[in-house]
Amino acid sequence: MRRTLTRRDWLAGSAAALVATGCARPAHITPAETTVVRAPAYDQRLYDIVRRLVASQHLPVRGRTVVIKPNLVEFEPGSVINTHPLLVHAACEAFRALGAAQVTIAEGPGHRRDTLDLAEAAGYFQTIPGFEANFVDLNLDEVTLVDLPRRISRLKRVYLPNTVLGAALLVSMPKMKTHHWVGATLSMKNLFGVVPGGVYGWPKNVLHWAGIEESIADLHTVFPHTFTLVDGIVGMEGNGPIQGVPKPMGVLVAGADPVAVDATCCRLMRLDPLRMGYMRLAAGDPARLAETNVHQAGESIASLAQPFALLPQFRGLRL
Amino acid sequence: MSISNLLERQNPDGGWPYGRGGSWTEPTVYAVLALAVGGDSGPVDRGLQWIRAAQREDGGWQARPRVGESCWVTALAALVPAERLGADNHRRAIAWLSAAKGMESTTLFRIRQWLLGAETPPGQAATGWPWLPGNAAWVSPTALAILALDRENRLHPAPDLASRVDDGRRFLSLRMCKGGGWNHGATSAFGYQSGAYPETTGMALTALRGRQGPEMRESLEVALRFLAGSHSADALNWLRLGLAAHGRLPGGYQPPPGIAYRTVPEIATCVLADRAVAGQSVFWI
Repeated sequence: MRRTLTRRDWLAGSAAALVATGCARPAHITPAETTVVRAPAYDQRLYDIVRRLVASQHLPVRGRTVVIKPNLVEFEPGSVINTHPLLVHAACEAFRALGAAQVTIAEGPGHRRDTLDLAEAAGYFQTIPGFEANFVDLNLDEVTLVDLPRRISRLKRVYLPNTVLGAALLVSMPKMKTHHWVGATLSMKNLFGVVPGGVYGWPKNVLHWAGIEESIADLHTVFPHTFTLVDGIVGMEGNGPIQGVPKPMGVLVAGADPVAVDATCCRLMRLDPLRMGYMRLAAGDPARLAETNVHQAGESIASLAQPFALLPQFRGLRL
Repeated sequence: MSISNLLERQNPDGGWPYGRGGSWTEPTVYAVLALAVGGDSGPVDRGLQWIRAAQREDGGWQARPRVGESCWVTALAALVPAERLGADNHRRAIAWLSAAKGMESTTLFRIRQWLLGAETPPGQAATGWPWLPGNAAWVSPTALAILALDRENRLHPAPDLASRVDDGRRFLSLRMCKGGGWNHGATSAFGYQSGAYPETTGMALTALRGRQGPEMRESLEVALRFLAGSHSADALNWLRLGLAAHGRLPGGYQPPPGIAYRTVPEIATCVLADRAVAGQSVFWI
């Protein structure tokens, strides 16, 4: 089965093209809203913080299906590789409180095939009641072939899991981490986990050959309205996304525009989003990444920003 | 783990799903391999029919019919004995597998690298197998391809097969993690060493059956440590197969209680591991 462009998509695309070709005047950019809140620790206070944060976003989830996509990569005792399970549980509870008909947790790790064993090691079974019954391994899900709207990478189409394609709201819950290939891994990079290993293997090497940054931007074009909740309570700096060291930040970042949320996270990490390849590709118009085009709610970036240690090849990204 | 767990999951079309849903090639082949010596031949025959029908004109198999292109699961299908799969089906499977290689080992890629003045990294000095054509080689698909081609070469010796198997084994040696064992195939990144995983360590050891030396001893020790600490069905199955292939599985070893065998490949490889531990033939002859 292949998802093709609808007449509405064509109209929207044509309108976008008209706007893009109207170069005589700078395009007006409606600032996207992101919210930054303090969250000092992985403890019971998180439930209230997340419930209030999610409620403030006015998301239309009542009676609908929400799919939460955390970042589960590998497990090492004492490391901070994965989205913390308590935060994932708090998000599940928050969406249920808003009346979501179903809240599913879904992930397709890129290196390890035994997803549930990884989840168990990472504390998901212990922390989230009924975890296995509400979890979908995206690596082994039923799939649909989807045309990529902008074809930024060499890929023209990609198989994607039906669980994610069928969600009324996809929630990306990345860990705030540096990344040894692209600088930082946040909401958009987290969507590599929706590409099914059952079709593409472990790792999902097809994305590397097609261009990592281009593939991140391509996936964003399929899921441009993903809601994001970033685990920045303890992030990872240095040689992320696996072998870095913990970076306590005490922060959550949320918003309905992944480009804006990722740009805000970069600033919190003291990275310049305008100098990051995939951010520019995904934004289309780099002006979307400008701080003036992100409406910042909650805490100010200046009050919470801390420089993340970077591998030498990324020092040029430093703000 | 009993074969009844497999039988009850067979789809009406004769194939098997990973957990539930449509039939995929990997679980179907593992289920057929596990059930092949059982009593009731009906499910196996239906499974074999599914596998034969799913074979593509190029001789390979897709991850599931009508999804993607011929890929790594062809190695699994080639492990089904020719007398079961069909002689022509098997011959074409071996031919597809013999021609498959990691993109970094193709002539075109190497010419490109030469023109760019790029040196070949040590890990790319041998040829392995990719998950999908057009991608780099990795440990798991290489290990499975070695098992299939080695089995074929033992039955019908051919220099080309022997050469691919030897080179594949060299690939695995080059991708061994520092200190022993294997992960998905990346031993280091930016000067940082990457650690081994239990399941890929077991899989690589299975493919390196018969190989000896200090590096193998190191990896066998890593595998024994993983065996003592793992709770993953996939990991324990492959560790048992890998250690049994080298005669290093501790006598009387049993997986700890409470292991969850969730997917069809996990159930099937458990059956295969039980059989290997009992001294029966599994992937080798």
